[in-house]
Amino acid sequence: MDKGPVLAPDPLMDKFDPPPLPPDDRRWMTAPRPVGFLGAAALLAAVTLAADRLHELLPENVSILLFLTAVLVSAAAFGFWVGLASALGAIAAFNYLFVEPHFTLHIARPQDLITLAVFLLSAGLAGILAGRLREQVDAAKGRAAALEVVSRVSGDLAGAKSTEDVARIALRHLHGLSQGPAVALRAEGGQLQLLAAEPADHLPEASDLDAADIAFRRGRAELAAARGWSGSRLSFYPLSVSDGMGGQRGIVLGHARLDPDRSDRDWREKTIEVVLRQSEQALQRLALAEAAEAERRRAVTEETRAALLSSLSHDLRTPLATILGAVTTLRELGATLPPASQTDLLAAIEEESERLARYVEKLLQLTRLQAGIAAQMAWVDAGDAVQAAVTRARRSWPRAQIAAELAPLPMIRAEAGLLEQALFNLVENAVKYTPGPIRVTGAVEGRAEGRELVLAVSDSGRGLPPAIAEWLASDEAVGAPPGAGLGLPICKGIARALGGRMTAARSVSGGALLAIRLPLPADDPGNPDGQAAA
Amino acid sequence: MRERRLILVVDDEPQIQRFLGHALVAAGYDTCLAATGIEALAQVAAQEPDLMILDLGLPDMNGKEVIERLRLRSDLPVIVLSAHDQEMEKIMALDLGADDFVAKPFGIGELLARLRASLRPRRAARAEQIRQGGLVIDLAAHQVSRDGEPLRLTPKEFDLLAALAGNAGRVMTHHRLLQLVWGPAHVDDVPYLRVFIGQLRQKLERDPARPELILTEPGIGYRWAPAAEGGQPP
Repeated sequence: MDKGPVLAPDPLMDKFDPPPLPPDDRRWMTAPRPVGFLGAAALLAAVTLAADRLHELLPENVSILLFLTAVLVSAAAFGFWVGLASALGAIAAFNYLFVEPHFTLHIARPQDLITLAVFLLSAGLAGILAGRLREQVDAAKGRAAALEVVSRVSGDLAGAKSTEDVARIALRHLHGLSQGPAVALRAEGGQLQLLAAEPADHLPEASDLDAADIAFRRGRAELAAARGWSGSRLSFYPLSVSDGMGGQRGIVLGHARLDPDRSDRDWREKTIEVVLRQSEQALQRLALAEAAEAERRRAVTEETRAALLSSLSHDLRTPLATILGAVTTLRELGATLPPASQTDLLAAIEEESERLARYVEKLLQLTRLQAGIAAQMAWVDAGDAVQAAVTRARRSWPRAQIAAELAPLPMIRAEAGLLEQALFNLVENAVKYTPGPIRVTGAVEGRAEGRELVLAVSDSGRGLPPAIAEWLASDEAVGAPPGAGLGLPICKGIARALGGRMTAARSVSGGALLAIRLPLPADDPGNPDGQAAA
Repeated sequence: MRERRLILVVDDEPQIQRFLGHALVAAGYDTCLAATGIEALAQVAAQEPDLMILDLGLPDMNGKEVIERLRLRSDLPVIVLSAHDQEMEKIMALDLGADDFVAKPFGIGELLARLRASLRPRRAARAEQIRQGGLVIDLAAHQVSRDGEPLRLTPKEFDLLAALAGNAGRVMTHHRLLQLVWGPAHVDDVPYLRVFIGQLRQKLERDPARPELILTEPGIGYRWAPAAEGGQPP
């Protein structure tokens, strides 16, 4: 395998390796262009004219040098063949003008024959050398261009976000490299469909589609038909990637056949191979990223479910275990239990039954929120909702120090029961984690469009774990981190159902400060307080 | 020797401790409490309890770790309190040397029965004979009879029977039985054990489909039904 320095050997490339071209398809040196001959002829004519005019002044050997220079310049500018033609022309002209007999192509003196032979040899060698130099310059330019394309391709492809992006980028470069149309096709339901083309209005012909289909089905390159043969003008290459879930998908890229006479054809060909390979890698990267993202989502869902289950299991089982244990103790050991113990066991049963009832209530609400049942919005006095939650919390935890500090609060659109439950959950969370005082505050923050009703509960505990605080303030509806329990996710669910959000911060005493923020209309006619405040 | 046995209750739920405290005192035990694994190990050293009731869901270390560390220096009987989603942990705890388990939620009667079984000294080593119902197991003579009629058991069946009946009322994990009867190389041959249990039931139980002597603890092992209270020979 003959690979240029740009291409490291890569098993992936095997299917892109074109079969050897027919021998007549490549020339030893690049074919000359007519413009080259014209230029060389003009130069030769100028030199001939000059030599003719000046031959009185100049010695003969200087004239030879002039001709030689013209041959060199032509070879350097237009390549080997033009250089050779120019050399022959120069000999003819020199012979005609300066070799005795003058103005014929005959050669009278034997030393002139030697002069001409040496001239022919020098001109030929100079032509070959200059032509080669010319081609090396062209090749170096081609190499530089190819390298630039290669680096641009990898840069462009790194930013590709979809299969369409990859196809578009690849086509742009294929179009530039082949200087002809390029198309991308995608298999959909076993049929190839046009995905993109460059130029955008290029439509593939039936023979192109057939060739692309063959490339797709056989999984290897299908080259364009050679000149003079029927068939597609485009070479097609299948790019197939596994989608990370056992499936295969891919696209077929086609580009116009390279002009075999171009001196930089090799470099273009290799660069095209690089474009194809990098496109395939980009597609593979996209497929893997997609699979990884799907996997991550699945894991988050699973984790949430596991966390919920484990929290369910713990929160349901503890009260149940206490109730069952206390009841069986009373029944089986009642006779030996002192009255104080009996009373305490009964109290435990009552407390745990209430805890269970609260828990079941929460579960029902969570189910409702997750089922996406819309809140039944009505005008609600926010102050009343806060007061109700605080009263309920004080009844549930008589020993907790719960203080409510409420500014006059506006009416809001909400569902009263949900709002109360959310606040109650926040207080419950605070009671669970701190023995110290708990403050419940309500206030209106912001102005005009950004006005919010902020209902906050702050405690003096150790504060929320950062992961939970972050999740509460995030936009994610699911995926509460383990340890969040049920109460806080429900709060967040309620805040969202009411069109608001939650925030988590540190309270003045270093504990948690959790807030439900509900948007207030800037100037709602149904909201007199709102108008006054605005 | 103390007059009343001292039970160490290790559970981080105050409500569980609360009712267990009342129940154990009423049942004639003294209690001491611990809410964490570290505290439990400290209590064992300080108070020398006769038995530990250990909840597997402790905040600081899992029950497995508590038992591992406890077993380094003490063979104190341990009854594990477990939830249904702690099946694996429970089995590990038993294999590591916990004596028995009670699944939450439980009636106090069940816990007290396990407690008594675990506090009772193991008798297999000393007892010559085990009598239960009409069944007589003569450990020295390797003979078993029911209602005076001799039963023919293979040596392995007899070893298995002795291992089970010698630990009446206590759960015996698959691992433990396999190790006791077949040796450490066979601790994973649970299907093998099932076959032998089936054979034993055929020979011993009055109705093998509804066993009354060899009870199954699903996924964990087997338990020899304890004799009715008071029916034990001294």
